[in-house]
Amino acid sequence: MKLVILSFFFLFSLGASSAESAPCGNYGECDEFVPQLNNLESLQLGAVTFMNNCYGCHSLKYSRWNRIAKDLEIPEEIFASNLVYGQTVKLGDTMNGSMKKEVAETWFGISPPDLTLVTRLHGSDWVYTYLKTFYEDSSKPYGVNNMVYPGAAMPNVLASMQGQQILSCKQVPIIASNGGVKRDSSGNNITEEKCGYLKTIPDSGTLSTEEFDEVIYNLVNFMTYVGEPSRADRERIGWYVILFFIIFTSFAYLLFKEYQKDYH
Amino acid sequence: MSNQSSGIFNWVNDRLPIKNTYERHLSKHPVPKKVNFWYMFGALASVVLIIQIVSGIWLMFGYENTEEGAFASVEYIMRDVDYGWVVRYMHTTGASMFFAVVYLHMFRGLMYGSYHKPRELVWIFGMTIYLVMMAEGFLGYVLPYGQMSYWGAQVIISLFGAIPFIGESLELWVRGDYYISGATISRFFALHVVALPLILIALVFMHLVALHEVGAGNPEGVDIEKYVDEDGVPLDSVPFFPYKILNALVAIGIFGIVFSIIMFFFPEGGGYMLELANFEEANPLSTPDHIAPVWYYSPYYAMLRAIPDKLGGLIVMGAAIAILFVVPWLDRSKAASIRYKGNLSKIAMTIFVISWLMLAWLGTMPVTELRTTLSQIGTMIYFAFFLLMPIYTSIEKSRPVPERL
Repeated sequence: MKLVILSFFFLFSLGASSAESAPCGNYGECDEFVPQLNNLESLQLGAVTFMNNCYGCHSLKYSRWNRIAKDLEIPEEIFASNLVYGQTVKLGDTMNGSMKKEVAETWFGISPPDLTLVTRLHGSDWVYTYLKTFYEDSSKPYGVNNMVYPGAAMPNVLASMQGQQILSCKQVPIIASNGGVKRDSSGNNITEEKCGYLKTIPDSGTLSTEEFDEVIYNLVNFMTYVGEPSRADRERIGWYVILFFIIFTSFAYLLFKEYQKDYH
Repeated sequence: MSNQSSGIFNWVNDRLPIKNTYERHLSKHPVPKKVNFWYMFGALASVVLIIQIVSGIWLMFGYENTEEGAFASVEYIMRDVDYGWVVRYMHTTGASMFFAVVYLHMFRGLMYGSYHKPRELVWIFGMTIYLVMMAEGFLGYVLPYGQMSYWGAQVIISLFGAIPFIGESLELWVRGDYYISGATISRFFALHVVALPLILIALVFMHLVALHEVGAGNPEGVDIEKYVDEDGVPLDSVPFFPYKILNALVAIGIFGIVFSIIMFFFPEGGGYMLELANFEEANPLSTPDHIAPVWYYSPYYAMLRAIPDKLGGLIVMGAAIAILFVVPWLDRSKAASIRYKGNLSKIAMTIFVISWLMLAWLGTMPVTELRTTLSQIGTMIYFAFFLLMPIYTSIEKSRPVPERL
């Protein structure tokens, strides 16, 4: 019997070992993103970044203006005068974007996708990594390419903040087949040149790397919120429901034990 | 009860057998006194059925069954309807949990021989319920009209096209259009919310009536009807109320905990319960890289893909379900329960379970040559388990089943 189970484990591991494409394209594994949906400041800053830099092309068509104002605790007057674009917009409207589809298609070849659910579709990790991995590539129409999504038809909108990011090469240790680093006879690591690493040219942008990461963090935090505005509520209410079932089960079990004495 | 209300009760009861039915099917219904947790999944399945019906009705309040409106209406429920997300996640989690408890319930049946004489019909009604559930789940998955809804439907409907002679016209007839469109959504909607639930409820009713006629089984496979008291009540049984309802309540409580953990903290189930690609509206012009079914179809999807020929795959997949119906006649063992069956049955069952799990996993993964080979091995083991059952259950030596529970 043990042999049977072991041989199946062997089959499983065989099947699992086949190479899969990395989740973040040429970048490999995505950078981890842990949302903070109760951090209102981060969400508000993210909303500002989104409205100033993304909403010009991308819509959030399943989301409503006043829902965001309410959830992010931004007073409606301040929200309306600072974050809402368009004179005819009512706060109860959905956020349909400000660019016409036909115009967008002439400009970009495809119309920029709606971003309401993008963090649910690709995952917040993916979006977070994508936004940080644009690099200069003169062969592309906008002069930039992306590590996560090569050939993306999107200009690097935040380049002025991030600065110039380029692909560079560096010396990396050679890994031997046993998993250790290869060394020469005097014990020094043997290295080889590998290319395809992102490098930001210092002082070419208005923000430092840490500041830029924070801007992107807040932005993706906001987009994660927009993807599922009730998520913070869901996770809060969930604890009470589970607690209820734990209490319910405990009493049901005690009652069951009591009655079981009758026939045991 | 006051005299007046008992007067009204008696008046009604003389004309409608309320008391009799209640006593026969609930309060006095004899249940084997020793059963284990495997016997709780039937009750849990009926709880999920109720969850699905109630949450489904609430979803219908906000859902729009059109090509243009379907996807947006689901987001409308998730965002603009107060606690709409509760209802929606209840329904999506419920769908997965329905299959989970039904698979465990079916496995209990295989393990303890719940299909043995005289419970063949109970088993057959149960299998029919499973079949209808598969159709119901598929139809429901198309309704939100995301990318996976569309392409999943494309794959499944095109299977009809593989049937010789009538295939193409059948495909068109099922789809209601030359491609998946609003016509498909509205007919799937009608079938999902009216036709199949009606059939499902009728089948569950038959399943229970048949079960109450022959009585529930037990893990020992003991026939408790052999020893009865002067009223004809089996000695090894206790009445459902108040004894066995308490087992059910404990099970429902534990199930509630599991259900809420998934629903409130992992509603996507890691992409196996709500596939991430379905967060994008259906787009007939862009095929997803990898079309995978939700987890509960994946073993059969793996079998479909294991066969290089479309019609062959369809036949194998159909046969995999069909063979379950005849299990009562494949098992020749004298003992119902695995506890008293011989070693061959035990080994066969273990291999079967592991290979079923392997198929389930393979069905969710992108195809590689090696995985196709593994799926073919898994498919062969699946069929061998059933087709060889008459042989290994008759040559092995089973231990004698005790007289009393």
